[in-house]
Amino acid sequence: MNVLDIAGLSKSFGSRQVLTDVTLSVPENCVFGFVGRNGAGKTTTMKSIIGLLRPDGGEISVCGERVNYGSGRTNRFIGYLPDVPEFYGYMTAREYMSLCGRVAGMNTGEVRQRTDELLGLVGLSDEKHRIKGYSRGMKQRLGIAQALISRPRLLICDEPTSALDPVGRKEILDIIKDAGRQTSVFFSTHILTDVERICDRVAFLEGGTIALSGDIEEIRRKRGNTAVEIQPEHPSDAAVIAEQFASGEVREGCFVLKNASAQDAELLMQFLLGRHIPVIRFERKEPDLEDMFMEVIGA
Amino acid sequence: MRHFITFTGKELLEMKRNGRLMLFLIIFCLFGIMNPAIAKLTPWLYETLADSLASSGITITEYTVTAMDSWVQFFKNMPMAMLVTVVMFGGLFTSEYAKGTLIPLLAKGMSRGAVVAAKTFTMLLVWSAGYWLSFGITWFYSDYYWDNSAVSHYAFASFGLWLIGVMLLCAITFFSSFADSAAQVLLGVGAVYAVMTLLGMIGTVREYLPTFLVQSAPLLTGEAAPSDYFTAACITAAASAVLAAAAVPVTARRRL
Repeated sequence: MNVLDIAGLSKSFGSRQVLTDVTLSVPENCVFGFVGRNGAGKTTTMKSIIGLLRPDGGEISVCGERVNYGSGRTNRFIGYLPDVPEFYGYMTAREYMSLCGRVAGMNTGEVRQRTDELLGLVGLSDEKHRIKGYSRGMKQRLGIAQALISRPRLLICDEPTSALDPVGRKEILDIIKDAGRQTSVFFSTHILTDVERICDRVAFLEGGTIALSGDIEEIRRKRGNTAVEIQPEHPSDAAVIAEQFASGEVREGCFVLKNASAQDAELLMQFLLGRHIPVIRFERKEPDLEDMFMEVIGA
Repeated sequence: MRHFITFTGKELLEMKRNGRLMLFLIIFCLFGIMNPAIAKLTPWLYETLADSLASSGITITEYTVTAMDSWVQFFKNMPMAMLVTVVMFGGLFTSEYAKGTLIPLLAKGMSRGAVVAAKTFTMLLVWSAGYWLSFGITWFYSDYYWDNSAVSHYAFASFGLWLIGVMLLCAITFFSSFADSAAQVLLGVGAVYAVMTLLGMIGTVREYLPTFLVQSAPLLTGEAAPSDYFTAACITAAASAVLAAAAVPVTARRRL
């Protein structure tokens, strides 16, 4: 069973249509990357999932139960980390975790055990200060810990890494990856390397709709338009190669042939050898998510 | 119920940690002590002013202070304490909505009704505790220095004023369900009081309005009986309940 199903979700704010017919599913035990530009509607989608926004159309189900606006019933399956998490600054991390645990309906012993476990996981167990003195990264880590307290089946993280420094980013990604072993994770981002690092599946949100989604490896295979890029020692040689291979193009002193088969690569090499063209770099380039994303958004 | 208890605990901890609880305690103690103190100082005040008053033709013969002076001060000062309470609680809901601190808790399935109930309960608890603390201090000193039996129905008159406070706090709950800022909430509460005062100018409606409960003087002197205030008290209680209850469905639809 899927932990999250979204079908035909649409939402507009005033005259601005933010989402039109968003459809996607998150299976169990999967880290799902939800990719889109700033303002693409990622947060709107996430807030609709936890019932904080009323969609104009479409249906959302969490673990088979339909989400209703204003009611928190389906939220018992969900752990949510908002994009800019705000906590009660006068509490300590431990006090806040205990508040969250009690709200989630856990008993005292369970709350204590889970708090120890999770604060250890996010590296805040020795933190005795109140939350108001926390850095952004620390708040983000506490955010993940509170989201995981009731062992949710779906962890939703809204751009958890976008405001962090490289060290903080790595820490958060490692924690999410860890969490992904026990629960499904649905996390939005506009940083594609983050998705490549931890996600199994991905969906690109563009123009208010899902432009491309699926298993990352599968997408790569399907869209596997491997390119060959040659950097000759003398930039002028790039044009010489392009004369012979008309489907390629010259880009910044390099020759690039898109959708190149193994045979194309072989022909290219023979040509270089035959013409004695000195080469600095000859590369068969696997497409990365960035290329695919750019292709999807038509940039 | 679990959510209500948990969130009330959080509200009280918040009041304690941000120093508001202590501030309320000090304010209400001061208001309590002020009433008998002013009554006690009245003869001395008149004495010091006697010379200047005499030059303008007013002569004061000996002034005897009774418990009545202390209670008159109580009913003069407590509306001020009520105003302080209303202003301090004006942003209790809206600041939390604006900061987004509720989101992680709502995302854990906490009901919005519990939030409304817990915040309203906290306001009423603090107002009641503070108000009756002031009442107790005034009662004790008035009885210690003079004799409370010289004043009629002071307990019922105090109840009436307390009830108006309850209604205004419930009005905060109501206006907070759709207002965006503390200023808007306070404007709403102020408008409620203003409308009641204006309506009070119409003779026949007057005794059915919550503001009628402020008229404590006839009760203290024994000219009026508590039964004369019964309708106004019931209407005030009912209005409080309606205001607080109406906030629940409106808050449930609020965009956060």
